[in-house]
Amino acid sequence: MFAYYFQLGLRSLRKNPLLTALMVMAIGFGVAASMTTYSVFRATSNNPIPQKSSQLFVPQIDNWGPEDAQRNNGEPPQAITYTDAIGLMRDHRAKRQTALYPAGLSIVPADANQLPFHENTYAVYADAFAMFDIPFRYGGGWTAAEDDSRAAVAVIGKTLNDKLFHGENSVGREINLDGRSYRITGVMDHWDPQPLFFDAVNTGGFDDPTQLFVPFTRMIELKVPTNGNNNCNKDPGQGWDNWLHSECIWLGFWAELPSKAEADAYRSYLSGYAAEQQRAGRFRWAPNVRLRNVVEWLDFEKVVPAEAKISLLVALGFLIICLVNTIGLLLAKFMRRSSEIGVRRALGAARSEIYMQFLIEAAAVGLAGGLLGLLLTGVGVYGISLIFDPQVARLATLDVPLVLLTLLVAILATVIAAFYPTWRAAQVQPAWQLKSN
Amino acid sequence: MLKMTHLSKVYRTEVVETYALRDFNIDVKEGEFVAVTGPSGSGKTTFLTIAGLLETFTGGEYHLDGVEVSNLNDNARSKIRNEKIGFIFQAFNLIPDLNVFDNVEVPLRYRGMKAAERKQRIMDALERVGLASRAKHYPAELSGGQQQRVAIARALAGSPRLLLADEPTGNLDTQMARGVMELLEEIHREGATIVMVTHDPELAARAQRNVHIIDGQVVDLAEDPRFHHAQHTAHTGTPA
Amino acid sequence: MLQIKPILAALKRHKAGTILIALQIALTLAIVCNALFIIQQRVQRLSRPSGMNESNVLAITNRWVAVNDKDTASLTKTDVQALRQLPGVEDAMNTNSFPLRGGGWSTGVNLVPKENGKPAGQTTLYFVDEHALAVYGAQLIAGRNFTADEVIVADPKDIKSTPQVIVTKALADKLFPKGDALGKQMYLSGKDVPPSTIIGIVKQLQVPWSGIWANDFVENATLLPVQLTGSYGIYLIRAKPGQLAAVTKSAPEALLKTNRMRVISGERAIRTYEKVREDAYKNDRGMAILMGVICVILLAITAAGIVGLTSFWVGQRRKQIGVRRALGATKHDILSYFLTENLMIGIAGVVIGAGLAVGLNLWMVTQFEMARLSAVYVFAGVIALLLLGQAAVLAPAMRAAKVPPVEATRSV
Repeated sequence: MFAYYFQLGLRSLRKNPLLTALMVMAIGFGVAASMTTYSVFRATSNNPIPQKSSQLFVPQIDNWGPEDAQRNNGEPPQAITYTDAIGLMRDHRAKRQTALYPAGLSIVPADANQLPFHENTYAVYADAFAMFDIPFRYGGGWTAAEDDSRAAVAVIGKTLNDKLFHGENSVGREINLDGRSYRITGVMDHWDPQPLFFDAVNTGGFDDPTQLFVPFTRMIELKVPTNGNNNCNKDPGQGWDNWLHSECIWLGFWAELPSKAEADAYRSYLSGYAAEQQRAGRFRWAPNVRLRNVVEWLDFEKVVPAEAKISLLVALGFLIICLVNTIGLLLAKFMRRSSEIGVRRALGAARSEIYMQFLIEAAAVGLAGGLLGLLLTGVGVYGISLIFDPQVARLATLDVPLVLLTLLVAILATVIAAFYPTWRAAQVQPAWQLKSN
Repeated sequence: MLKMTHLSKVYRTEVVETYALRDFNIDVKEGEFVAVTGPSGSGKTTFLTIAGLLETFTGGEYHLDGVEVSNLNDNARSKIRNEKIGFIFQAFNLIPDLNVFDNVEVPLRYRGMKAAERKQRIMDALERVGLASRAKHYPAELSGGQQQRVAIARALAGSPRLLLADEPTGNLDTQMARGVMELLEEIHREGATIVMVTHDPELAARAQRNVHIIDGQVVDLAEDPRFHHAQHTAHTGTPA
Repeated sequence: MLQIKPILAALKRHKAGTILIALQIALTLAIVCNALFIIQQRVQRLSRPSGMNESNVLAITNRWVAVNDKDTASLTKTDVQALRQLPGVEDAMNTNSFPLRGGGWSTGVNLVPKENGKPAGQTTLYFVDEHALAVYGAQLIAGRNFTADEVIVADPKDIKSTPQVIVTKALADKLFPKGDALGKQMYLSGKDVPPSTIIGIVKQLQVPWSGIWANDFVENATLLPVQLTGSYGIYLIRAKPGQLAAVTKSAPEALLKTNRMRVISGERAIRTYEKVREDAYKNDRGMAILMGVICVILLAITAAGIVGLTSFWVGQRRKQIGVRRALGATKHDILSYFLTENLMIGIAGVVIGAGLAVGLNLWMVTQFEMARLSAVYVFAGVIALLLLGQAAVLAPAMRAAKVPPVEATRSV
């Protein structure tokens, strides 16, 4: 029967090409607008590290006091000071932990004909590689002992390895960073978590993949400044050391806490830490700390751009209007055929068969709308780069799940829109006469 | 085959109740050809819609082929319509979007028949009404008589036990009407039960038995003095 | 308008269709009003002047490699001299940031020394030299420019203030509402920060940020005569008219020729000011375009829906229309019947829609830091949708008017 109804549907749609075209276009545009904006929303609201997102935490400590916190709904600052980062590292209460910051280093190629260049670089502790599940092509991260000895070691990305060493195993070889030599301990495989969760504060969540990791301790010793934000609530005083020990916030911190118990313990440890600072006279306020996991952190950092939310919202409203429109047109289309329905009913069609016939006809409209929508979504995804930051736009792609979703939404939405018109159609009584009016 | 006892049909509005049929009794035996006559508004169309399970009734009993139908749900009623009853409408009621073949196919589709059998039956039915060569034509391309013959083919294709016809020749000229009538008689000779509503006494006369309805009740033709008056109205009034 | 009663009676018999059209008009109005409002806001933002003469300006971001911070001062000086001598270059300078760059410094500014608490104003800091006004193409409306010997070399971590500053008129007026800022002293926030004397006032100069959060101090800029040391800096170059393309190519080459140990790479390292503006307002322009496209399609779809349903009604009522015509209705009567019918549905729709529009806006205000919807947009939307409805219904209504009276006699 399905084939029969489908065939009847197509026939009826061909009968009224204008009305059909209107419906197909309404659905196509509605679905395309929603899917295009959804592709951005999906990319920006993605969980970058699903296997561990509930185990990785960002601690926040209020070192600026209630007056500043008040301006942020009572939230502590988004980054921490060097003092606190070192304090948390020393106490070592998590399974793994790292302080981090984007280091402003340049890479000097051994080939004198090549110019120095910059890649996104982060100063981290040895734990970072295991914490963030960073995949390695060759070698691995450096050791905790190398952290302690402030060793000149580095982990490079696949792209950088291709560029400098033509993709060969470069473990053990040297890389020149700002005129100093570093021994490569590992080459990462492709690693590009989206959003870039570990430094959402400086990147807004979207940046080119990180190609270089160097030891945090080494960078501090060399007084390499941050390439990211540095915020001071008061003058830190002159020079590097004063700045290092000031209340300026500029560091990220991550702790791996595999169980809820460990997270709870860490939370109370943070409160204890802040209380201790209060006792020592550094904080003149009660402990105000937070511990957020990856998902909570990205949400707090508002990684999803307001533009993505607004346009998704508007697009959904748009889809709803298109569906209301489709309901009206389907109603017109179906009711125009009430005499046909009456005859079919008289000839023995059960109500359920009328339902089937018209829902399948609607589904055919939905399918056509979906195909048009797919085309338009393709255009839309291409056009996204006009609207969004290229770092965000490059993530919005028309992949297989999006294609399937587009078709599914189109068909489902149309069938849902068809419920009322179909119900009306099925209410038509078996007719003796073709009603003339 | 078709037996109604004390059947009534009431149309209710907020203020009035109108009896379309009142204490209506009729018994049509298997293989009969019955003509139902009566003036406009007498209730003959209501009778036919109830007989064809297109409408429900208010009181009394209706046995169709031995089955009491008043308690059947919509699905069961649809199934009976589809399998046991063939309809011939005054206005033909062909679906304009479908060609002749597809129109005849409609009831067979709802019966879930295999494609080969459907095709066989459709072509047989069209053969019977002499329109096999027009299978690919659309209703609008046919004359009134041809359209009615397609409608008859559609009714026949399902081999119904009971054929209900409502003024089958009402929209046709005399010559075409005669052709359609001859076809019905032929179908009857082959064993089908036919109930035909008509206001045409000439047509009614060709049936085996005549039933006359006035004011929603069956009246005996021989005894009722209103009969002659009714005949007169039927000639001048608009067809029901 | 005499036909209102019969129209109402007829609409009652077509509840579903009536409700659907009204609902569609309502939802369309809600979205179109808000979309238009968003467009207007964004367009207003992106048409803000930067205060610079924007043509013929080039920005190059430079990072020294393997150079001690202290040594960068002389290297930068060499660079700037090389750039100024380059054919096609009118003037050039080294700075930390510039209007619409996207990143820079901001700090509080006060009339008295102040370390904590709410400052009297907020300002961005541009560390420049005496060539700044020429490079910006900014207009000095009071006072004087820096002199070469006022320009000092300093480490970014050590610099607190300078004895002389040039401020924008917006900042001057904020601090000294009477308009007598010239020659007065101001204090940048911080501990023991020495005062700065306002020696000059420029008409206009925007901050580096285009975001909404900077709206409060969008034209509050302070110029300090400082050449910062450190590995990171920007060369802002004004090319001679018609020479920008040539300079865009020759300037980085000249820099690399002076010294190879630097990084000028990445998409944003070399940008003409046109590109800077485009990058800064990319989202704003994109949103405006997106909302515009959505509005147009939405209105088209709503119009199509009205045409579709009205056509159906006309088809359904052919006989009725024929009877009316037979009973003496003129073509004009029939036409105005359908126009009035649509107008009534439209009015119901826009009343609901206006409520929805305001509601949607209020919700977005809480969610996305948006401004309140002005009534003008709702009013414009209402008029637009009512007109759209009338236009959409015209074709089917004219078809209805053409139904001949003989239709009344046709039974099938």
